[in-house]
Amino acid sequence: MRNVYIIFTLFAILILGNSNKLLAQSGQELIDICNMVAGEDATYLKDFQIKLEAAKPGEEPPVARHSVVLSKNTKYRFSICNSKDFAGEAILQIYDNNRLLGTTYIVATGKSYPSVDFKCTQTGVYHIWVNFKEGEQGLAVALLSFVERF
Amino acid sequence: MSKRLIYILLPLLIFAACRSDKSKDMNFSKEFEVPDSVIYEGDLEISEQAIDEIVQNISSPVEIAALIKAVGVPYSKDYLATTDYVDNYNTSFKQALGLGIFGADLGYQNMYNKTGGVIDYISAIKTLADGIRVGQFFDFTTLKRLATNNQNLDSLMYISVQNFNQMDRYLRENNRSNLSSLIVAGVWIESMYLLSEVIKESPNAELSEKIGEQKIILSNLMLLLKNYERDPKFKELIDQLAEIQELYKDVTITYEKGEPEAVEENGMLVIKQNDKQYIEISNETLFKIMEKTVEVRNNVIQL
Repeated sequence: MRNVYIIFTLFAILILGNSNKLLAQSGQELIDICNMVAGEDATYLKDFQIKLEAAKPGEEPPVARHSVVLSKNTKYRFSICNSKDFAGEAILQIYDNNRLLGTTYIVATGKSYPSVDFKCTQTGVYHIWVNFKEGEQGLAVALLSFVERF
Repeated sequence: MSKRLIYILLPLLIFAACRSDKSKDMNFSKEFEVPDSVIYEGDLEISEQAIDEIVQNISSPVEIAALIKAVGVPYSKDYLATTDYVDNYNTSFKQALGLGIFGADLGYQNMYNKTGGVIDYISAIKTLADGIRVGQFFDFTTLKRLATNNQNLDSLMYISVQNFNQMDRYLRENNRSNLSSLIVAGVWIESMYLLSEVIKESPNAELSEKIGEQKIILSNLMLLLKNYERDPKFKELIDQLAEIQELYKDVTITYEKGEPEAVEENGMLVIKQNDKQYIEISNETLFKIMEKTVEVRNNVIQL
């Protein structure tokens, strides 16, 4: 009879463990969704998978930073997609070496954009910062796509 | 009764334990053990984290191929590196560099929707990826099916670029950034070679300027590679690229700062940078750089 309990317990752990995995949204799914958000006129270049913990009281919200090389006379698209498993809504910001160039969230209007186009006129290194609104815990994918030369 | 229950539960237990989880979670690359001797254990000039910050999108097989196509230059398979001698890429150094070379060639073919020769390239890439034990990230079966059926060519590009990103991420996360850097170098060298060959056939101001702006890209690439210069093979490659970098001293790049602006166009937010960048490259310098690039690339594929 003891064997039955052991097997039943193991069985329950495995089933419950796997059902959790089945419910969670995978990173790959999120990348595929984000590639669709970017649109058919955009060609996928890079993805950045971002998972941040909630901000601790009195501290600045955590930020994920990535650097990319972008080329002049090229239109790029940055798309941001949030996992449905977390409350956090991601905000993407694009910086050159010393200033903010643009963001997916306009504070003045309170409007968020799932994608922004960046018309790059200078070849060089750019910095992508992603954080979650109000420092919430979150999981997101930021996608960099090539749109066209101009 | 208890035996019967065991007979019912045991097969279910085995099934549950063996069931593969096809979904890849955010830490998918950590599912694989760090393999073999190719982990770089030497002293690093800059940290792995800093490398991670530098390396992204240094050279993309998509962008230069898109530029070549956009200026109206016809496709030519003569520019591509042959896959006939893929077995000669028999060290992790050569395999990683070869992955970059063939990755750039695959991007060029995909951009022109030329699927005829693609299978040779995806086969070669799979062989090299297996060689450095990242073959699990290269979805050979799907890519081969897409290429064979000449269908969903956008998916062919998407999956192949994404597979390269997955290999790159896995290598960097497992202290094998040396190999990741070589892939990046391979893509850059082959992209420069493609540009050079195209300019020789069809001179074009935009393409020439593209060669000039690679001064910035090469300096980032050199920063990355110099981290491993204690390795004699790396040193040899760095020395060859340093000869190109030396020629770039005659390329002048100047800047004019502008004010970025954000405008909404058809519901899409568009950020206009408004900076200006001027690239001055004489014909003499251009041809010297192209000549040296061809020499370096041909050395690399005959390693």
